[in-house]
Amino acid sequence: MNERSDGGEALVRLEDLHKWFGSNHVLRGIDLSLQRGDVQVVIGPSGSGKSTLLRCVNMLEVPTEGHVWFEGRDITDIRTDLNEVRTHIGIVFQAFNLFPHKTACQNVTVALEKVLKVDPKEARDRAMQELKHVGLDHKADAYPGQLSGGQQQRVAIARALAMRPKLMLFDEVTSALDPELVKEVLDVMQRLASEGMTMMVVTHEMGFAREVGTDLVFMEDGRILEQGDPRQVFGDPRHDRTRTFLSRVL
Amino acid sequence: MAAETIERTTPPDTRGPSSRLSAGTLGLGIASVVTVLAGTAVVQARYARAGGPLTPECNRHGLLHFVPTPPPGRGIKGAEGVCHIVGGLRSGSETAILVFAILVGAAAVAVGFGIFRRMDTKRRREQALAGAILGIQAVILGGVLLWFRSTATVFTFVRNFLNFTLLRPYMGVLFRGAKNTIFLAVVGEVGGIAIGLTLALFLLSARRVVRAPARVYVNFFRGTPLIWQLSFFYFLFILGFNLHFSAFSAALIVFSLNTGAYASEVFRAGIQSIERGQMEAARSLGFSYLQAMRYAIVPQAVRRVIPPLLNEFVILIKDTALITVLGLVASQYELYVASQTGYSDTANATFFVATAIGYLAITLPLIRAVNAVERKLRSGLVSVAGGP
Repeated sequence: MNERSDGGEALVRLEDLHKWFGSNHVLRGIDLSLQRGDVQVVIGPSGSGKSTLLRCVNMLEVPTEGHVWFEGRDITDIRTDLNEVRTHIGIVFQAFNLFPHKTACQNVTVALEKVLKVDPKEARDRAMQELKHVGLDHKADAYPGQLSGGQQQRVAIARALAMRPKLMLFDEVTSALDPELVKEVLDVMQRLASEGMTMMVVTHEMGFAREVGTDLVFMEDGRILEQGDPRQVFGDPRHDRTRTFLSRVL
Repeated sequence: MAAETIERTTPPDTRGPSSRLSAGTLGLGIASVVTVLAGTAVVQARYARAGGPLTPECNRHGLLHFVPTPPPGRGIKGAEGVCHIVGGLRSGSETAILVFAILVGAAAVAVGFGIFRRMDTKRRREQALAGAILGIQAVILGGVLLWFRSTATVFTFVRNFLNFTLLRPYMGVLFRGAKNTIFLAVVGEVGGIAIGLTLALFLLSARRVVRAPARVYVNFFRGTPLIWQLSFFYFLFILGFNLHFSAFSAALIVFSLNTGAYASEVFRAGIQSIERGQMEAARSLGFSYLQAMRYAIVPQAVRRVIPPLLNEFVILIKDTALITVLGLVASQYELYVASQTGYSDTANATFFVATAIGYLAITLPLIRAVNAVERKLRSGLVSVAGGP
């Protein structure tokens, strides 16, 4: 974990990020960077702007002010080919968002074929490999409606991984799952982290944050209140607000 | 049951023994309705097949044999058929059938309403009620027929609306009319779907400059009468643009343009009904907006818009009748115009009855298909978007 082989150049750097939804000031000046191999976990009370922050990283939300740098490129620049950038950034959503009219396998192959122009045979092979990775190769021909929430979420992870992304974003991926299905998804994420994937994870799973995270960010009211090594933050939070929040959720 | 251990005064059991006549009542109800309908049909079929000369009664009402020879021909074409229908209606067997059906129906009403509260299961209660309601319908049907056949107008009515002999020479025209109706509607609908899908994508654009022209188009075609559009564009094509368009081709284009406006709103609503997350997931995988539409959104939306599009199609089938304002050549007559020819030749309204049957023969199966698709979608068999 935590190999920083790039000589300090951050994979993602957010610079003075602001986001307004109408008159609602959701992000109030975020500066944050993410090194290759980092597992950055973002926690905080609901409405604190965590998801918006995450969605700014792949420009699903366009920041009102500030810059997002990815691999040293300013992707908030209007001239950026976002479609190309997004092939390098996988995202997994709370609501899975699998394509319900496609099988698990087709969910994985469609972007490989239509975006990366991989030929169908190779796309299928790659899809099966990724489905195997998340333990679902036997469900390749099932439709999302025939899978449990946990299985759907793992297919969604496989779909993102098949693109061979440089960064994976996880947006409260276990929040919509029945409690007994949470673990199978967290296990997959933990294995990904141990394989060296760079990840940014918005979650309410404090156990995961502590055990797997390499960097913990605590947000409130659109600002980063505290950031540091998860064990340090959990063990001895510097900020009163962090302490109160942690005492409520732990 | 824990409640039984609590000491309290139990209210008296008012339930009494359950009647056993539920199935019997239903049987009575069914029998009464079937007797009226099937009995009358059988009597009519027998009179139609047996034939026979015009009865004196028919003659008294002005039904005379048609004599084609010395011009002008005397008598009424199909007078025998008319006479047989009235003869059947006024026959003794019809009287027996109607009286019997009314009595059985009344019995079903009396028994059904008398006992339905005392049934011990929901199923039996529904049977008793259904029997009683069918009985009411049989009494009404039988009563109306009894009254109608006794009036003097029955001759006039049957001669003007049920003189099917007159249709015979026009069957070819009517069938070609039905074929043209279907052709106009199918081509109009296919063209409309193509236009509608394109317009829907424009209507959904984030750019006002793209939305505005599409909105103008849709509002124009939804806001003016189809009959006006037919006349206007026909004259626009042939007079304004000097094109040699037949009324038929002009109508095909106008039906497409008009259906396109309605279909675009159907598609727009269908596309907007797909969860936002689908678009986000597709865009996050690197799809462009149009690719996301093509591979993720539209395939799901299409399934949801099938029922409303079929509804549009049924409406279009009926609207093809408006082509009559353009004046067609004989080979292009659609169903309504075809029936009008028959009517103006013979001054007999039987053609309108035949046309109604023709339209229903086309639309009823479609309406059933719409309902079947809707049921399937609702029961989730197609899941949100077509399972295995």
